[in-house]
Amino acid sequence: MDEVATKIIEILRKNMKDPSKEVTLETPLSDLEIESLDLAVIVFDIEDTFGIEIPYNANEEVEAFATVGSVVDRVKGIIADSKASGAAA
Amino acid sequence: MTQSNGRRRVVVTGQGVVTPLGTGVEKFWTGLKSGSCGIREVESFETDELYITIAGEVPDFDPRERELSKQLLMADKYSQYAGCAAREAVLQAGLETPISDEDAFRTACIIGSGVGGLTTLEFSYKMLFKENKRATHPLTLLKAIGSSASAHVSIEYGIKGPTFGVVSACSTATHSIGVVYQMIKSGLVDTGIAGAAEASLNWGATRAWQAMRVLSPDGLFPFSKTRNGTVLAEGSGILVLEEYEKAKARGAPILAELMGFGMTADAADMVNPSIEGAATAMKIALDEAELAPSDIDYVNAHGTATAVNDVNETRAIKHVFGNAANNLSISSTKSMHGHTLGACGGIEAAASIKAIEEKFVPPTIGLAETDPECDLDYTPNQGKARDVNYVMSNSFAFGGLNAVLVFGPNPA
Repeated sequence: MDEVATKIIEILRKNMKDPSKEVTLETPLSDLEIESLDLAVIVFDIEDTFGIEIPYNANEEVEAFATVGSVVDRVKGIIADSKASGAAA
Repeated sequence: MTQSNGRRRVVVTGQGVVTPLGTGVEKFWTGLKSGSCGIREVESFETDELYITIAGEVPDFDPRERELSKQLLMADKYSQYAGCAAREAVLQAGLETPISDEDAFRTACIIGSGVGGLTTLEFSYKMLFKENKRATHPLTLLKAIGSSASAHVSIEYGIKGPTFGVVSACSTATHSIGVVYQMIKSGLVDTGIAGAAEASLNWGATRAWQAMRVLSPDGLFPFSKTRNGTVLAEGSGILVLEEYEKAKARGAPILAELMGFGMTADAADMVNPSIEGAATAMKIALDEAELAPSDIDYVNAHGTATAVNDVNETRAIKHVFGNAANNLSISSTKSMHGHTLGACGGIEAAASIKAIEEKFVPPTIGLAETDPECDLDYTPNQGKARDVNYVMSNSFAFGGLNAVLVFGPNPA
């Protein structure tokens, strides 16, 4: 598992009721007993850790927050985009 | 019904509002009737680095034009809103002020606020931490306190009975009105000013709300399939409540009867509401009013346009009303005045009372396509004439704090 994935799983664990539970990239977030407010806290923590902004609205179903792997992919995408725009600027 | 049989009845003799649709009940009601929207691009503060740039700001509030006392002119905006709404309500009720010595200790003043003078605090912290000022303004503390609105209004009118602020986030005004209702009913006081005020729109507070990810960047569309969050707003809603026989004896204008009040807590979650908590509050209010669910004509819903509230509220209404839910007119006037947080229950009480007075149900605007899980009559886009006699007004707050009022016509 790469650094981004490791850091994200670390952040998820902080917000889990039972942090000893196994977490893989395939684990659905719903299995981690993470609720809407937890997700806002997790997104905040991820934004802070990676210095990025993640568009997320708790009122909308977001495909990118289905599994741990989809969160990792979304974050990597945003990091790549911000680097690209930084280079262009 | 007109016999009190020793039971003390509570009536509304005055109401006042400050809202994003305008200041004063007439302006507010005209806006609601015509389906106007008070949500606009923010003007009162810079929206740099914010992705939420809309809110319900009060468009016509210049404190110097509102005949406020010098003390209120020096107060935080939330107290000024309360002072302005209270003044309108007191004038309409025709209360003699200052309240006479005989009545002063038997009059209550319960005006709450979700967060009090938050904008005053933001400004003073900015001065201290960012501008490195030596000191804050000497009135900072008094302006910030959450009970200052109630204190100011008690000073304005010489109210010497129970005076304090109630806090329950978005149920604040409804709890405040309910508490005064209970005080009058139990005989502790005969008259009371009740409601709440909120003026927490500022950069820092918007940042805090943004971080919760519950705000809509587009608008407040309750019960809609495309709803995507709530919109912050500010204002105040205040009622004058009186014991019925006393109000009648002095020839006061009786706008409505406050017949029932229910309050519960979900005891479950800070943000995910329960059907049980909301439904039980509605049931308690109906039972206290001695009304059957089928007696209610109109429900002024909490209807915040968050994904969870609107579905939960719909389910709770169905749970309490059963088949009668299909004959109800429901609307969320927040679609027009925005979510005024602690003040919303006071503003919505005024809308409920006007609905009885004018036999008209205000609409839920912005409702093009209803969420399939919200399948009741939310009075989409256009208000309608209806013989409205009994109204329920719902308020549900973060933390699962529920408060429900039931209003009826003048008992005479």
